[in-house]
Amino acid sequence: MVLSEKGRERLYLLGKSWIFLFLLGEAVIFSFIGTGFFSAKNFQNILVASTTILLLAAGETFVIITGGIDLSVGFVMGLFCVISAKIIVSLQALGFSPVVSLVVSIAGTLLLGLLPGLLNGVLVAKLRVPPFIATFGMYGIAYGLSEILCNNVPIAGLPSLVGFIGNGYLLYYLPGRGFTWFAPPEGLGRGEVRALLALFPNVFLFAILVVLIFAFILSRTQFGQHVYAIGGNIDAARRAGIPVERDLIRVYMISSFFAALSGVMYTLRFVTGRADAGSARMLDSVVAVVIGGASLYGGTGNMIGSIIGTLVIGVLETGMVNLGLPTYNKYVYVGVILVLAVLIDQFFPEMVRKGE
Amino acid sequence: MPPLFIRLRIMAYSHFGYGQRFAVQLGRNWVVLFLVILVVLFSFTGRGFFSPKTLNNILLTSSPALLLAAGETFVIITGGIDLSVGFVRGLISVISAIIMRDLYARGYSPSFCIPLGIVVGLALGLLPGLINGILVARFRVPPFIATLGMYGVANGFALRFSKGFPITFLPPEVGQIGNGFFAYFLPGRGLSFFARHADIVEGEMRNLIGIVPYAIVVVAVLLLIFAFILSRTQFGQHVYAIGGNIDAARRAGIPVERDLIRVYMISSFFAALSGVMYTLIFSIGTHTQFSASLELFAIAAVVIGGASLMGGKGSIGGTTLGVLVLALLEIGFLMSGILPFYRYIAVGTILIFAVVIDQTFPEIIYE
Repeated sequence: MVLSEKGRERLYLLGKSWIFLFLLGEAVIFSFIGTGFFSAKNFQNILVASTTILLLAAGETFVIITGGIDLSVGFVMGLFCVISAKIIVSLQALGFSPVVSLVVSIAGTLLLGLLPGLLNGVLVAKLRVPPFIATFGMYGIAYGLSEILCNNVPIAGLPSLVGFIGNGYLLYYLPGRGFTWFAPPEGLGRGEVRALLALFPNVFLFAILVVLIFAFILSRTQFGQHVYAIGGNIDAARRAGIPVERDLIRVYMISSFFAALSGVMYTLRFVTGRADAGSARMLDSVVAVVIGGASLYGGTGNMIGSIIGTLVIGVLETGMVNLGLPTYNKYVYVGVILVLAVLIDQFFPEMVRKGE
Repeated sequence: MPPLFIRLRIMAYSHFGYGQRFAVQLGRNWVVLFLVILVVLFSFTGRGFFSPKTLNNILLTSSPALLLAAGETFVIITGGIDLSVGFVRGLISVISAIIMRDLYARGYSPSFCIPLGIVVGLALGLLPGLINGILVARFRVPPFIATLGMYGVANGFALRFSKGFPITFLPPEVGQIGNGFFAYFLPGRGLSFFARHADIVEGEMRNLIGIVPYAIVVVAVLLLIFAFILSRTQFGQHVYAIGGNIDAARRAGIPVERDLIRVYMISSFFAALSGVMYTLIFSIGTHTQFSASLELFAIAAVVIGGASLMGGKGSIGGTTLGVLVLALLEIGFLMSGILPFYRYIAVGTILIFAVVIDQTFPEIIYE
């Protein structure tokens, strides 16, 4: 395409921000045809509903920037959802208090959560197994393990504290009675419950905190620079003295750490441990990263893009639920958006990469 | 220090020395060896493992997977991947079942609505492949993304048409076709072709032996045809050439775009056939669950059968062996009383193992 300098600059801006415009468009459409789109409650619903995709996509961002892919995240999430629930239930049966068992379970799960990533990373970095196959193998292994651990039945019998944290909010505001932290004020009348305003869902708050820390790591640290370098040209990175193998292993460990965290969050929110907790979410997380501007060939992508990509899916999902539309249409739209995003990337490289 | 996979090779060869030729043979045929080991193992652990019924079961369980894997073989040889096959299968199963159910309910005869359901299902089954192929070949969308998009779209449509429930109330003749045998043998009364012996008594049903199910014959014939296409025709040569080096293939004048589109259409045709066969065998149309992971098993079978995800190699024969290994694992685990979920672990491990062998000892495959 022959373009003036100014036109090229504009196209570049459009290419960088089309997904943002798309998100705005979604918000406008849903606010016209739905009711109550613009409300604190609805926005928080969107955020809570997007937590799983957000966490999986954050880990997937690292992997995709290195030019790899992690297909195991959905079932690794399911595995650690089951494991965390199982730890709580068994510690409680041993007579530990809910608080102790919850803390031990979260810490233990997150630690164990590094293991699938370690395996994936060693396979990819040291044994040169294509990421697609290594993580596909892990996908099968994680699913098999989780179903065996929970005997194909969701794990129940978790203490109510779990749901209290998982479905709680940081702040509660009751007009006339002010703010309270963590729990709604006691002794509410029936009318007051309806007026109660809950702010900042715990689960989302914690998730976004971790994601922002990793966004910092990706964009501001040497390790983050290495991740981009590996994705840009792995041989050049190796020749430049970057410890490619070590960094790749770390990247896959980050991805499975996020999957495990997402599994813990699922346990907290739904007060159950399910093997299929994240099975449908692997696609969503890859889509979020790709429509957020990452290329599957590696080297491009960033956390803000992935967050916006997540919101595009989250708004779509929540909006359709609010309209009473069956959610299965979502799969169709997500698939179409994915292909659209790559087509734009393919046909207007000058919109995405500067100076081409 | 050299990378781990090089060190592994040095280790292996320093031990083999003169036995290199043996190592090459072993590496090439490890799938066959593995298959034999599995058979021996399961004949000890599973009761009645060696019986015509078990053999029939293995063939029947593997036939849908075999179809998906056969289509996937073409795609993987071109260096691509088709992630949509599992859900295309579910979608076509639902569509063909809906056609049969609705026409039957309106009073059309089964001999009209069953063939119509089959034909329309197979014809519609070419569409996802056409779209995938156009996206991959003309618009240069990475196969992974194009087919992942189709994975979502096909799943969404399947759920939309089926409303999340299996499609039931098909004409009763459907099951007779799907589960029929070419011949039946009843001890003392001899053979009967195409239908069971007339006036069978209740007690005799147990002794009745079905010989050669229709489903397996259809699968076998199609596999032979497509194995021939892949190995003996110009189109088949093009498929390998595209996978070996797509730019070289283009420069050599191979119609790369047209051939790639055909390859993806073959893949989704096989997926559709698998869906129609599911409907015929089980008399219901069902969308595929996320956790069924049919594409995992299809891709695993192709890779275990010796294909490389980098493209350029693989064969229908190898894929068939790969599918048999997986089917044997499933049936063997079942008969040995092992939880079916261990199969997922076994498959994942074998898949990684197959690629590590492929990666570490390339001369095993290319001499």
